[in-house]
Amino acid sequence: MFAIETKQLTKTFGKNKVVDQIDLQVKSGEILGFLGRNGAGKSTFINMLTGIIQPSSGSYSLLDVQGPNDDIKKQIGVMPDYSALNASMTAMKHLKFLAAVSEKPVSDERCMDILKLVGLEEQAHKKAGKFSFGMKKKLAIAQAIIHDPQLIFLDEPTSGLDAESVIHIHQLIQQLHQQGKTIFMTSHNLDEVEKICSRIAIMKDGKIGKMGSMDELRAYYQSTITVTIKHSPIRSTHLPTLEQWLTLTGTQLEMKTSQFTIHVTSEKKIAEIIRALGKYNIDIYRVDVNEPSLEEIFLDE
Amino acid sequence: MLAISKREFIESFKGIKPIIIIAIFLITAYYSGKFSDLLLSANIDFTAEELEGIHTIAISGLLIIFGMLFVMGLSHDTMNREMHERTIRFLVTRTSRSAIIIGKFLGIWFFWIVCLVTSFMVISIFVHKFDMITLFQATSLVAYYLALTILLSVLIPKPGFTMFLSIVLGIAFPIFNSWTVFTSNPWVSWMKYLLPFYYINDRNFYFVGILLLVGVILFIAIAIFNRREC
Repeated sequence: MFAIETKQLTKTFGKNKVVDQIDLQVKSGEILGFLGRNGAGKSTFINMLTGIIQPSSGSYSLLDVQGPNDDIKKQIGVMPDYSALNASMTAMKHLKFLAAVSEKPVSDERCMDILKLVGLEEQAHKKAGKFSFGMKKKLAIAQAIIHDPQLIFLDEPTSGLDAESVIHIHQLIQQLHQQGKTIFMTSHNLDEVEKICSRIAIMKDGKIGKMGSMDELRAYYQSTITVTIKHSPIRSTHLPTLEQWLTLTGTQLEMKTSQFTIHVTSEKKIAEIIRALGKYNIDIYRVDVNEPSLEEIFLDE
Repeated sequence: MLAISKREFIESFKGIKPIIIIAIFLITAYYSGKFSDLLLSANIDFTAEELEGIHTIAISGLLIIFGMLFVMGLSHDTMNREMHERTIRFLVTRTSRSAIIIGKFLGIWFFWIVCLVTSFMVISIFVHKFDMITLFQATSLVAYYLALTILLSVLIPKPGFTMFLSIVLGIAFPIFNSWTVFTSNPWVSWMKYLLPFYYINDRNFYFVGILLLVGVILFIAIAIFNRREC
């Protein structure tokens, strides 16, 4: 079962195609990280799935129910990208009210548990108007999960939060994942996405450029595995032959007497290089393998 | 829908404006009940129908002249404030848009029903009778004002503009509506069927017509809100 499935989903504002025919499938129970530069169309995409805006064309289904569907809203939790809270309502009242709007009324104990989860238990009876930005963000996350939804949309859940709160929110997301919830989150924090998401989609100019697990994404970029090998000095008689062989194996970047750096297309090539050096009786002191970071993949995209 | 109605009902009592309006209604009801007998003792020829509603005429008059102003003054930003501040996003991601509009309508309407029933009860203390027909007409009239207010609040995104409009419409609406009822100009007269005063002109059940119009206005408001991006 797919928690989210979109077919040719498109949103146009005037002549500007913000989301361009996106086909996406998110399996139940996974955390999908949605990356993209500002204006890439991430929030527009989430807003279409959550009923905030209507798609221009295409279709989507949430939890196997064709959207837009008002009944399915009870089973989804949404933390919109920008939203103001009602300044005159306390954190507790917010949660109770919004759960009731979802037709899933909750007890005070449940509200307190959720507020504890997001680290707002001491502010439970404070009015949201007096909250800091970070506290508002936490309350927005709390309201998204108060009614125990199966599918959770989090639009930049940790932006603007202090380091401690970010760790707290990451733990919370992991906890929700362990409970079998499907989480769809956008973020600008690449480390965060790399750390907690099971799959990552990178959006560019309204389209999904790359999508897959971190390993799959790296596989696209295997040519950029950079290997630096520190070794004993190479005899001058061996040097031209070895240099020639290395050129055939990968793209040589740097060759010094006791160290060289090379780009290879797969991990197997690293083993081949090590074996070749052994043949020439060269001792290997250190091998540094630099796989592409999400940041490099993202920037390349 | 029920949660939204409940919140709107409670929120309607908060602030200085509802307190002033409730006070105006209660004071009017008190003096209406207390002094309506003076009208009866004056040498004025009232029809039987007029005599029936004489005790509540002040409340009816208040609603006809200032009703639109009161309702719009209190609720002009019921939708656009939420859209402007984007608090609406918490609602549209949880329930249907029609439930939001109907929930808000019912919550505020119930506030007015409570105000009117209380006023009519104050009058009944003095005159020992409860004028049900006028109460139904009054609540229907308020429902019309409210539906129109919600429609404008969906149509106009800026709360500041609907506030300005509430004053202009509050003054112009009763004048224009009265004109449509009493004019013989056919170019204007047809509009009386779309406005509420025609249906409460006499003590009968024509007020049901107002409730039908309320349904149409809310339907239009929902249709527009369904296309609105929040």
